[in-house]
Amino acid sequence: MNKQDSSDAVFIQLGCMVRDMSVDVRLEAFEALGKIGLVSEDILLQTLSKKVLGINKDKAFKPVEGLDISASAVAGAYIHGLEDEFSVVRMSACYSLRTLTVFSLRFACEALNLMMDMLNDDSTVVRLQALDTIHHMATSNHLKVEKIHIHRFLSALVDSSSVIRSMTRKILKLAKLPQFKLFKLCIDGLLGNLEIYPQDEADVFSALFHIGRNHGKFTVHIIEEVSPEMEPASGGKLSFDSTRVAAFLVLAISAPLSHEKDVSAIPPRIFSYAVTWLGRISYGLSDLMNQEKLLAYLSECSRSSTISLADFKINEALLTVESDAPIPLCSKVDSPVSMPFWKDSGGTSDYHHQEFLSLGKSAAHAEYELGEHSELRKYVNLIFKKVKDFWSLVELGCTTEAFKGIRACKEEVASFTADSPGSSGAVAFTLQYLQVIGMLAKVWGHLRPTKMLNPYGVGKLELLFAKLDRRLREISNRFIGLSKGEELQILDLVLVACLLRLSKMEICCCNAAMKLLLSTVAHVEYLHKEGSIELSNFVTEVKKSLHDADSSSSSSTCKPLLFKRLLDSFSLQQFVLYGTPRYIHAELAVPSNDSENPLPFIPGIPASIPLAITLHNVLTESRLWVRISMSEESTQFVFLDLNLIRNEKRSINVVREFTFVAPFYRTPKAISFTVRASLGLECFRENIDRVKVFGGPKCELTYLCPEKEIFLCKSTEC
Amino acid sequence: MAIDCLVLGAGQEVGKSCMVVSINGKRIMFDCGMHMGYTDSRRYPDFSLISKNGDFDNALTCVIVTHFHLDHIGALPYFTEVCGYKGPIYMTYPTKALAPLMLEDYRKNMDRRGEDEQFTSDHIAECMKKVIPVDLKQTVQVDKDLQIRAYYAGHVIGAAMFYAKVGDAAMVYTGDYNMTPDRHLGAAQIDRLQLDLLITESTYATTIRDSRYGREREFLKAVHNCVAAGGKVLIPTFALGRAQELCILLEDYWERMNLKVPIYFSAGLTIQANMYYKMLINWTSQKIKETYATHNAFDFKNVRNFDRSLINAPGPCVLFATPGMIVGGFSLEVFMQWAPSENNLVTLPGYCVAGTIGHKLMSGKPTKIDLDKDTQINVRCQIHQLSFSPHTDAKGIMDLVKFLSPKHAILVHGEKPKMATLKERIQSELGIQCYCPANNETVTIPSTHYVKADASGTFIRSCLNPNFKFSTCSSTDKSYLDSNKSKAVSRLSVSDDRATEGILVVEKGKKAKVIHQDEFLHMLGEKKHEIQFAYCFPMHMARTEDLSSTSHMLCSFDKCTLISRLSMILSDELSEGNILDLGEELQVESFHVSVCSSDNCPHRLSSSLQNGSESVFFCCHWSVADEKLAWKIISIMKNSTL
Repeated sequence: MNKQDSSDAVFIQLGCMVRDMSVDVRLEAFEALGKIGLVSEDILLQTLSKKVLGINKDKAFKPVEGLDISASAVAGAYIHGLEDEFSVVRMSACYSLRTLTVFSLRFACEALNLMMDMLNDDSTVVRLQALDTIHHMATSNHLKVEKIHIHRFLSALVDSSSVIRSMTRKILKLAKLPQFKLFKLCIDGLLGNLEIYPQDEADVFSALFHIGRNHGKFTVHIIEEVSPEMEPASGGKLSFDSTRVAAFLVLAISAPLSHEKDVSAIPPRIFSYAVTWLGRISYGLSDLMNQEKLLAYLSECSRSSTISLADFKINEALLTVESDAPIPLCSKVDSPVSMPFWKDSGGTSDYHHQEFLSLGKSAAHAEYELGEHSELRKYVNLIFKKVKDFWSLVELGCTTEAFKGIRACKEEVASFTADSPGSSGAVAFTLQYLQVIGMLAKVWGHLRPTKMLNPYGVGKLELLFAKLDRRLREISNRFIGLSKGEELQILDLVLVACLLRLSKMEICCCNAAMKLLLSTVAHVEYLHKEGSIELSNFVTEVKKSLHDADSSSSSSTCKPLLFKRLLDSFSLQQFVLYGTPRYIHAELAVPSNDSENPLPFIPGIPASIPLAITLHNVLTESRLWVRISMSEESTQFVFLDLNLIRNEKRSINVVREFTFVAPFYRTPKAISFTVRASLGLECFRENIDRVKVFGGPKCELTYLCPEKEIFLCKSTEC
Repeated sequence: MAIDCLVLGAGQEVGKSCMVVSINGKRIMFDCGMHMGYTDSRRYPDFSLISKNGDFDNALTCVIVTHFHLDHIGALPYFTEVCGYKGPIYMTYPTKALAPLMLEDYRKNMDRRGEDEQFTSDHIAECMKKVIPVDLKQTVQVDKDLQIRAYYAGHVIGAAMFYAKVGDAAMVYTGDYNMTPDRHLGAAQIDRLQLDLLITESTYATTIRDSRYGREREFLKAVHNCVAAGGKVLIPTFALGRAQELCILLEDYWERMNLKVPIYFSAGLTIQANMYYKMLINWTSQKIKETYATHNAFDFKNVRNFDRSLINAPGPCVLFATPGMIVGGFSLEVFMQWAPSENNLVTLPGYCVAGTIGHKLMSGKPTKIDLDKDTQINVRCQIHQLSFSPHTDAKGIMDLVKFLSPKHAILVHGEKPKMATLKERIQSELGIQCYCPANNETVTIPSTHYVKADASGTFIRSCLNPNFKFSTCSSTDKSYLDSNKSKAVSRLSVSDDRATEGILVVEKGKKAKVIHQDEFLHMLGEKKHEIQFAYCFPMHMARTEDLSSTSHMLCSFDKCTLISRLSMILSDELSEGNILDLGEELQVESFHVSVCSSDNCPHRLSSSLQNGSESVFFCCHWSVADEKLAWKIISIMKNSTL
């Protein structure tokens, strides 16, 4: 007896129990029926027919000697269950059907007939459960609505119970109707619903929007039919007081977002009509987009008849918001970072994102920002895709070619900056990323065994590493608003850099690199735990071997071969940008200071240097240092306490402008000299190994602006 | 003991249900109905078969009525008041409450038709006084031996199935029942019982009905379409039962669809019946019971009283009118007015008695109906046939029979050919002996009688002894059959089939006792007798010098050699039995053989005496049990030579 047979036999045995005289037994029986996973279709169909089906006439199972289970025993089990006297049993029967409909389309169709009948049940809970089962069928793609059903189904839209109505609309949102006639009936049903129960307006709008989106052609067709109704009345006055018109408008504006191809356009003026209803419509569509987005969309659509661009943008935005959408969210679902960032709840990135949204509102052009960003994001992600391809070149040893490509990308990205001020973060980030990859490619090409000979000497390599480190530090510290997944990908790169360094004995500062490696891994683990994001193969591999190395010998951690091997397991994953990262940067200026107009100083006495600082996106809690250096030996750090700085222009921490007077203590005994000043952000993760200097920063600094040369001249007044 | 079932009515037909069951000396009459199709003596059951001299009080222990339909209760006033039965009558509370209404209504209709009156209002009232009401699942001790109990049957309000038990014999009479609930009544409900006999109705012996939701949908659609088009809907029904169900259905639909079309009840019986229904909430379905506290389902909000002036009032309406099947009365009056318009709708009950207008409308689509010689009705209205029925379908009957698993079943209240089909099914599928007797026939079935017996100590000990049997069985694992690799597994299996053998002794005046067979002789004070067969016959000998020619002089040594040689022969030839060589004697089971030295052996047949010099006589004896073996051995010996 195979597994299928035995589960069939169990199913039949349970099916016999549904005619028991005790309510509790019947209840349990149906519950149990719903739990059996593997039932053959014939048996399932038999439960919906009181007459014994031909195929089941002689079907019998003999699981044990003497026990004869005949398939006919299960005849009409669900018919009986659904007309049971007790509503709990009927409900249980409805519920258990829910799970069984997943297995067979034929069974689902038959069961749908019964479910539609159940909509006439006298108990509200049973009706609701029946609708829930239908909804479940719809989500598992086993819902085939036919004409005979639709009347019964739509009558639930005028049910006196509001839960029933809302559940019905929920199903309608998912429905895919084969004929225009059915579509029209559904729309009429919804309009009837709206007429009788005006309180359902928001949800009806939402349902109309969904159903319209699912049936682009039908929508266009119906709008053509009713467009006279929607036009302004003769006196030039818009008859927009009718809810019916509003409903049609909602339907109309859904058409461009249809999943169907070649939907002929809705007249653009319709969209401008819809703007007059913005408040009510956006209330209804609040689960899809906010008012700003809707307005942006409407104005975009009303501007021109060719709306392919807007189509793309909003569609993308919608897809990330709506879980019921029938199209997969993104092409690469398996990659950890492909997780849309809105999904990892509670993460800081989310917080940043929201913050960003609220920030954006202040600007006049902000309405468009999100839309623009999503467009930009698309391009940026295309570039990331290219980068991935380039990396495979690097791995093959064609570093120069790859480098060329990356440079071209950089140029392309740089061209974005000009027109869209709001998206500077994403652009900066992309540039930074390209630079990191470029550096990494250079180092990789040098260190990894390729057919080429080592082109650089050790010294050059050291320089390259230093550059790479700086770039990496910048990319991981100068952007906020990255999701955990994105952050993890960057950490991957950090790890690679560490490993590269460790794998080269000659330049290896083993302790520091190892320390960094360990701390990075720890951070990766932390993020992994927080965000429940899957780690890449590479990271898992690194973690594992580190653990092994740890347990085997604690003393010697320098094992170039091990690290080389680890590097083999690295493959660059395509970076996908979901959010809009904010770029932390600063401008530093000394007003009216140049070689002609130097600042005065008295040798031996600290000089004051007034710095005009503009900070972008710097969080209040971050630690900023002003680094002033005269030469390599005399460098001093001045802590910039952001809490003490009064915000002169705005209360929010996006852009701050202020003047800070920095003291320069060790003025030399000279007539004039120059110092270089720059602003650094302390990176908490990277401890400085070197000896601390006068209460300077404890961690490595990432510099937020280019160094500024400041000229000082011995004061002549004293 | 036996159970005798005398079918007085509803045998292979529908109508005048009446069954007299004699069970362990008690005689119960189940139902006392009348046949609506007849007006002559066939209308009532033939009560004379119960008692020739009309002494019903002694002939019957009690009368049980299952529900208030006339084919189950119609003859009751006649039986009690005219025939003079004065014994107890049992029925449920609602039946007792509603039966007078039904009977009175029927009597009035009879009056109107000018038939001779069978009973009067006083008769009905007097009859009802004799009724003892019972509640569901209440066990009533009718007398010392007879218990009865009512179970919920659905069908109509107050309908019950009755369980009767006398001594060890038990039976259930279902009356009419419904295994699926409807809008106002629940499904039949009964305990698992040990039954000798189940008497069940079989109205739908072969029909299997679909879900009731489909029927409701059709009905609502027809009514809604009609009133939406401005038509009038006439629903002729019985006052009780169907009217309430349809009304609940319409009320619910009106409420949900927000319809304002008036629903009317023809005054009189229906209104009165609704009142009773409101009081009898406890007998309705779960749903109505649950919501009763907030809203009584029989408090129809949209329903109004009808009066004659409204018949031709403009606008749509829905009217419930009695009687069903449009046999006359108000429903006929309205029908005559409404039938000529094609806007109107008439619904017909699922079953109409032949000869009624309802039946005429059902059969074909007549355009004209002759009411009598002078009156003719043009029929242009739409006809919708209701397929609601308060009877269970074939599957329901099978389910109930299967659930109760009685030893015997009797089908009544159905059509003969269909009943025969169902009977076959019950016998073949469930293995239950089934009958469908005609009217005035008697079915006798054996009844159960339990005897309590003591068991002796030896018997009990013998029961406890294990009875192991070892056998090697080779079983083929079926799961390997598909893969062409049938794998035979041979294993030793141990079975312990304890067959207990004992003897049931029933002595006069003493309790029955089960004893072990060893005790039996002792108990009777007798000795054990054993029958033995004996036979003496010659066996051929090979000539040998060692043997002296005089056979009678054989010494004991020679005897032993002969026996051992015989033993060798037997062990070669004989496949069974355990051959024991006891020196001068050979034993196989109870078969003993020895060389006979006496010439005058009493077991020797004279004819076998021939050529004595070449043979030697063997004398053998055996007990009855081994007769076959004995003759086998003898034949071997006769055919072989020593």
